Amino acid sequence: MSLQVFFLLVFGGAAVWFGIVVFLTHSMVRSALALLFSQTAIGAMFLVMQAEFLGVLQIMMMATEMSIMAIFMVMFMMDPGGLGEMDMKHQRKTSLAAGLVAFFGALAVAVFADWGPVATDIPDAGEQVRLLGFELLGRSMLIFESAGLTILTAMIAATAVAVQARERKPKP
Amino acid sequence: MSMELIVALSMGAALFGTGVYGALSQTNLVMIMMGIELILAAALVNLVAFWRYLHPDAMEAQMFLLIVMTVMAVEMAVGFGVAIARFRSRGSVEMEEAQELKG
Amino acid sequence: MSEWLLILALVIGVYAVAVLESWASGNRLRLLGPVVSALALLGQESVLHRKNDRLFFETSPILLLIAALLSLAIIPLAPGLIVTDLATGALFFNAALAYVLVALIMAGWGPDGAYGMIGGWRFLGQLIAFAMLVVMPITAVAMRAESLSTITIVESQAQLWNIAYQPLGFVLFAIAGMAMAFVPPFDLPNAEGELAGGVEAEYTGVRRMVFRLGRMVLILSVASAATVFYLGGWLGPWLPAWAWSAVKILAVTALMLAGGRMFPRIREGTLLAWAWKLGIPLALVNIFLVGVLVLVVPL
Repeated sequence: MSLQVFFLLVFGGAAVWFGIVVFLTHSMVRSALALLFSQTAIGAMFLVMQAEFLGVLQIMMMATEMSIMAIFMVMFMMDPGGLGEMDMKHQRKTSLAAGLVAFFGALAVAVFADWGPVATDIPDAGEQVRLLGFELLGRSMLIFESAGLTILTAMIAATAVAVQARERKPKP
Repeated sequence: MSMELIVALSMGAALFGTGVYGALSQTNLVMIMMGIELILAAALVNLVAFWRYLHPDAMEAQMFLLIVMTVMAVEMAVGFGVAIARFRSRGSVEMEEAQELKG
Repeated sequence: MSEWLLILALVIGVYAVAVLESWASGNRLRLLGPVVSALALLGQESVLHRKNDRLFFETSPILLLIAALLSLAIIPLAPGLIVTDLATGALFFNAALAYVLVALIMAGWGPDGAYGMIGGWRFLGQLIAFAMLVVMPITAVAMRAESLSTITIVESQAQLWNIAYQPLGFVLFAIAGMAMAFVPPFDLPNAEGELAGGVEAEYTGVRRMVFRLGRMVLILSVASAATVFYLGGWLGPWLPAWAWSAVKILAVTALMLAGGRMFPRIREGTLLAWAWKLGIPLALVNIFLVGVLVLVVPL
């Protein structure tokens, strides 16, 4: 078993285990931080698969995003410390069945499909960053620019929804 | 048929299953969004596996990955904006109580 | 051989940062100060809370130390003296610093105390705003070097250091680096006197020593990054390469620690308003200016 398979199993197993802990634990901040470490393990999987820029980007973005999710947990949930042992699930059997069907379905497609020949010639990391830059600003410039515009619109929309409406001052 | 590709895809499948279970079984909006983040992360894992093992010179795959990461961030931002507005008007973000439109 | 040199450089650097910090806050240069206070902390009794979140409480100082050490892994001290020359080194610096945030949130939440928790959540806002102000000047630096690898960035400054080429970027990076290493005046998480010590106060004994050690390594790492990205790393006329690196890193550390003490601590609302409304537009102007300069001036 090659080194890549070993590390994929280690980091993938860590990601899945942390992902399961997210929904099993009672403490809300623990579940947000478990999701953070799951995403870090996924970023490490990207690094193992030699997509270096994407791995570093995933690790950086997810640390910040999941910390924001942690503070939103503390703001909105009734029992953020998890000491009250409340059980907050609904439609248990349906969701468990849906989760298992999704898992076995994707696994069946992965194992039984014929993916074709495996490539062995990977550009090295510095070359990948250069080629990605050329691709982003060359051929896919329209997609890149419209993604930027979408992010701007989403930022303005989220801020507008979240800001409290100011009361109008009575006109003199 | 390589071992690495199947291992990576099965890790993605396991994350996808966990995400679906979480998104369907939780009652709180923030926990549902965590499930959705896991689903999108599983899609990212599969995309990187396909890029690395099948088409390593196609940089369009990495660009698609950047777009999916952007979607994750944007969806979280807008979702939390909606959650703040809902919390301000109702006092909680439980999905069980959000039944005003139900027949 | 080079690993031992790097470890020696790390130990000497952290010791120097500790001495400089006690000089900046006490105005006396005590060269044996770190040894004395380390022995004192090791001998201190370690007080545990009744209802702490055990996992977070124990993990947080170690995570802070690991995050700071990882962010030092891409700093070159001389042309061959680097832990790992990642092709995306400049971005990895920011990725490692983001875990300082996770460590401080755990440290704030773990002990189940009000002041520490407020310190931890304040640091969330501070680090997110100033992480943007760190990564945008790094973008401008990488634009000039046409690479994200730190060795290429240093070599691209052979004719003109980045501090003269992009002074606005240097000012923003230095301020944002101080904010990420929570050096005064940005020490909102462990504000002495205001938050009764904040995040750091709940730790005693060995854990506090590891926490403070992590913070020293973090200050060293931010100062090293400022010299690599803006002051030309190891470039200089007479001294050997590592000597120039050491001189520059110690100068930047002294500047950050001593200069920061002259300013009052700003309230977090005002601080974040300045970072988002003034800092980010300035960083974007910096990127635009550097873009024009890179295309027009052949340096």
